[in-house]
Amino acid sequence: MAVPLMLYTLVILPFLAALLIAIGSSHGRALHSGLAAAGSALGLALILGIAGRVIGGDVLAVSVPWVPVIGLDFSLMIDPLGLMFAGLILGIGLLVVIFGHFYLASDEATGRFFASLMLFQGAMLGIVLSGNVLLLLVFWELTSLSSFLLIGFWRDKAEARQGARMALAVTGGGGLVLIAGMVLLGTIAGSFDLMTILERGDIIQASPLYPVMLVLILIGCFTKSAQFPFHFWLPHAMAAPTPVSAYLHSATMVKAGVFLLARLWPVLSGTELYTVIVTSVGLITMLMGAWVALFKHDLKGILAYSTISQLGLLVMLLGFSLEMAAVAAVLHILNHAAFKAALFMSAGIVDHETGTRDIRRLGGLAKVMPITAIVATLAAAAMAGLPPLGGFISKEMMLDETLHVGLFGISWLVPVVATIAATLSVAYSLRLAVHLFFGKPREAEPHARAHDPGAGMWASPAFLVILAVLLGLVPMALAGPLVSSVAGAVIGNAAPPLGLALWHGVNVALGMSLAAVAIGALLLWRHAGLLRGYEAMRHLDAKALFDRTLGAADREVRKLIVATHSPSLQRMLFASFAVIVALVAEGALTGGGTLTGARAGQPASAVAIIAWGLLIAATIAVVRAQRQRFLVLIYISVIGLIITLAFVHFSAPDLALTQISVEVVTILLLLLALNLLPKTPPLLSSQPRRYRDALLAIGGGLGIGGAAWAMLTRNPNDPISSFHLANSYSGGGGTNVVNVTLVDFRAFDTLGEIIVLGIAGLAIFALLDTTSRGAAGARLRSWQEDMPHSPERHPLMFVMATRILLPLVLAVGIYIFLRGHNQPGGGFIAALVVAIAFLLQYLASGFDWTDARRRVGEHLLIASGVLVAMATGLGSLVFGANFLTSSFGYFQVPLVGEVELATALLFDIGVFAVVFGAVMQALAQLSQISQRAARAHAAQVEAQQQGSEP
Amino acid sequence: MTGSGILSDIVISALIVLGASFALIGSWGMVRLPTLMERLHGPTKATTLGLGGILVGSMLYFQFNAGVWALHELLISLFLFITAPISANMIAKVHLHHLRTHAKQDIVGPAGQPPKASQASDWATYEAPHPDSIAATSES
Repeated sequence: MAVPLMLYTLVILPFLAALLIAIGSSHGRALHSGLAAAGSALGLALILGIAGRVIGGDVLAVSVPWVPVIGLDFSLMIDPLGLMFAGLILGIGLLVVIFGHFYLASDEATGRFFASLMLFQGAMLGIVLSGNVLLLLVFWELTSLSSFLLIGFWRDKAEARQGARMALAVTGGGGLVLIAGMVLLGTIAGSFDLMTILERGDIIQASPLYPVMLVLILIGCFTKSAQFPFHFWLPHAMAAPTPVSAYLHSATMVKAGVFLLARLWPVLSGTELYTVIVTSVGLITMLMGAWVALFKHDLKGILAYSTISQLGLLVMLLGFSLEMAAVAAVLHILNHAAFKAALFMSAGIVDHETGTRDIRRLGGLAKVMPITAIVATLAAAAMAGLPPLGGFISKEMMLDETLHVGLFGISWLVPVVATIAATLSVAYSLRLAVHLFFGKPREAEPHARAHDPGAGMWASPAFLVILAVLLGLVPMALAGPLVSSVAGAVIGNAAPPLGLALWHGVNVALGMSLAAVAIGALLLWRHAGLLRGYEAMRHLDAKALFDRTLGAADREVRKLIVATHSPSLQRMLFASFAVIVALVAEGALTGGGTLTGARAGQPASAVAIIAWGLLIAATIAVVRAQRQRFLVLIYISVIGLIITLAFVHFSAPDLALTQISVEVVTILLLLLALNLLPKTPPLLSSQPRRYRDALLAIGGGLGIGGAAWAMLTRNPNDPISSFHLANSYSGGGGTNVVNVTLVDFRAFDTLGEIIVLGIAGLAIFALLDTTSRGAAGARLRSWQEDMPHSPERHPLMFVMATRILLPLVLAVGIYIFLRGHNQPGGGFIAALVVAIAFLLQYLASGFDWTDARRRVGEHLLIASGVLVAMATGLGSLVFGANFLTSSFGYFQVPLVGEVELATALLFDIGVFAVVFGAVMQALAQLSQISQRAARAHAAQVEAQQQGSEP
Repeated sequence: MTGSGILSDIVISALIVLGASFALIGSWGMVRLPTLMERLHGPTKATTLGLGGILVGSMLYFQFNAGVWALHELLISLFLFITAPISANMIAKVHLHHLRTHAKQDIVGPAGQPPKASQASDWATYEAPHPDSIAATSES
């Protein structure tokens, strides 16, 4: 397979699997896990296929521009480091999927589970294969989001939701900090391309921005990899199902921070600042994690803190800025992935079979679960760093490296603390194995029903443990070339010669290792006493602290919002209009120039003067009658009519048609709304406030009037309309310039507008549908008709006339729609005309009658309208033209003659559907309110009657 | 200008003037007549004969002067003939309703109050809704 295709396939496969699983989520568990396993296995096969080449030194890369303006390319690259991580992600992913298939009950939402798992796998692969740091950030955030979904998988459990939220807050927040760091990094390096950045280490470290950038990137890495003081989210993430913990919180996601440290090692490491921060954070985390792990009782809690400790070890090794330490880190990443995933799965098995994860209730399980015991004990031994397992080699290398590092000028600090941490990790590893599998059972109940699970469940951990053992027995044969090549990729040039072996002769590191094992065993022997001492100590509850901080932030933000964004609609409207008026006034006063331009006026005809007088009279009437809503509506419709006439007068038939139909629709809808409102609004504003509002209104009116005056008294300056007039027929295939402008020249604007209109329609739904709840809903339900209604609700003549009119109006609508391209009309006007016909049906025959005869819902209309318009626009891309390019042709149709067909017509269908849908949405919501009120009223009456009967 | 041209112009002008006169009379009636039921007569004259005359004039104009068959006007009259009576009917119904509920006191004009319906039934506007009518199936 060609390299570009291979890389794209690799990254897209998990997402594809996630999509397929989500589509088939109604099917059974086998399909979900099967798809997930197939995706992982296929990816793994691809990785193995190129492993030889990559380890041999080839860097495979591919790049296409995505957002070139900001330097974001969709570039993927695979080098030994990426290869190793991709192998881990896919390999362990495959094992976890197999394990998860048997772990999850078939009645759980396995579709959602495996889809999220695959989403995470894709995001993680994206991180390790990104060749562009901005792209890496995209995937980085995706891992935070998908891990949120996975931790909160059991969403009915409070701890799962809280754990998920905390993980998202910490890792997502760290991701935001990382964005800042990466942008700085890219700016300093002059490129966001990873390879370029890696070559410019000197420039970057010489930059004055280096310290800031370093700290920002480190915060990103530390939050993701659960380093002190951001470690607290990881134990709470253990609320996730165990397969998730095994995958995300041991082998992959938490290693993303370590990966990034390793990835940027050539650029970041080597400075005093880097060494001090990273080494000390790693060291503290390692020690603290190991100490807490020793005293946890929940199996997954122990493993969580041991993971924190082991990640601290990795971070510390990378912080040494020593090449050999980087080699040790690479080896330990492999080791840790193998034994920790195996341990998590074993913990899952124990939980699954005994029903508890509390180590104080378990014990002596080796007798009843021999296979699990062997697997988990070997894995724990690897974690403890006992020979002959892989953990021993990497731990010895680590201890050896600590001897070369002095922190704060103290040469013994790092080796001593590291040895203590190693001692503690021996102790907690041994405790895990010994207390769980050996000795006497502490409680009978979990012990009694325990037995080894089927092979499907123990196969995955067993495979990993075999790897962990082999990594100790034949390290050079199994991992030598890989580790050496990956270490080379981390360091940036050839890795130092590698000699992985169990026995290096008697040296200081061996002594430290032996001491750690001996004291660790001693600690386990004395564990009960230590535990009492630990529990007597005061501990900081990170979760309570986190909740308090979050709660405080929440309160402060709420205060700020209430202060700046007061929940009074009148005040907000006043503020926004005042700002607009002030800005316009400021612009007009300081901009210079005269109000009246040079264009000569036209003589006013008598008709125009009369219409103008009517307009002013109607406007004054609106102001005077403002408290009588029905009258206001009549006056407003007069204003609308005169504006329509003005459009006719100035030869704008399209505008006139639109204006009149919009006018009719809005007046009809307002009449319906008026029915629900008090006929005279209550007086809410005080007298001074009314003067204030009037002042603002006059200011706004003067501003608009002045702007119109200034515009109308000037000659247009090179108007774009001349271009439209010249090109309408030749370019757009239509003689109606207005319509061609809407659907062709400015089709993108129209697309935006119909989307806005669609959103407005949905907003009507959202606003009015939710008013049925809460205080407003109660008021609306208790609403009673405040006018006597005629018993003849559906006058026969009116009903019959509207039914006769419907097909006629539909024909008119179609006619207006079709001729729109060449004569006044188009989708917008046609939709309004048709909407009026339907509104009349609702008015005459009632909502229920009409609604029962309607097949297509408003939401569907709005959505399909936007989609049709979008599809038309995208269709032009298929033919190699730009988005929304229209095409037209003339065809001979029998009987009808020559007919023009334009793709703009399809676009217009979209416009039609959205407009029609939005109007119908408004109608439906208005009538639903009164229906709900009527129903509530009827129920009330019925209840009263029933109450009075007996 | 040919003789037939002059003739057609005369006919067209006459029709337009006739239509305009009826529209004027209708409007005048709207202003002049005292009660709603009487005022209702005004617009009906304006929409039927008034607009009808103008529309026929327009048809003839396009027929004779432009030489094209113009059927828009027929369509306009069709729509008017459907909608105008309905509007008048609805206005009358609302008026009756107002009278019934005493929401409004109408001046008694020369024609007096609206006549009472025959013994067998009442005005539809006054009736209680039939349980199996369309009206009963919706909304309540």
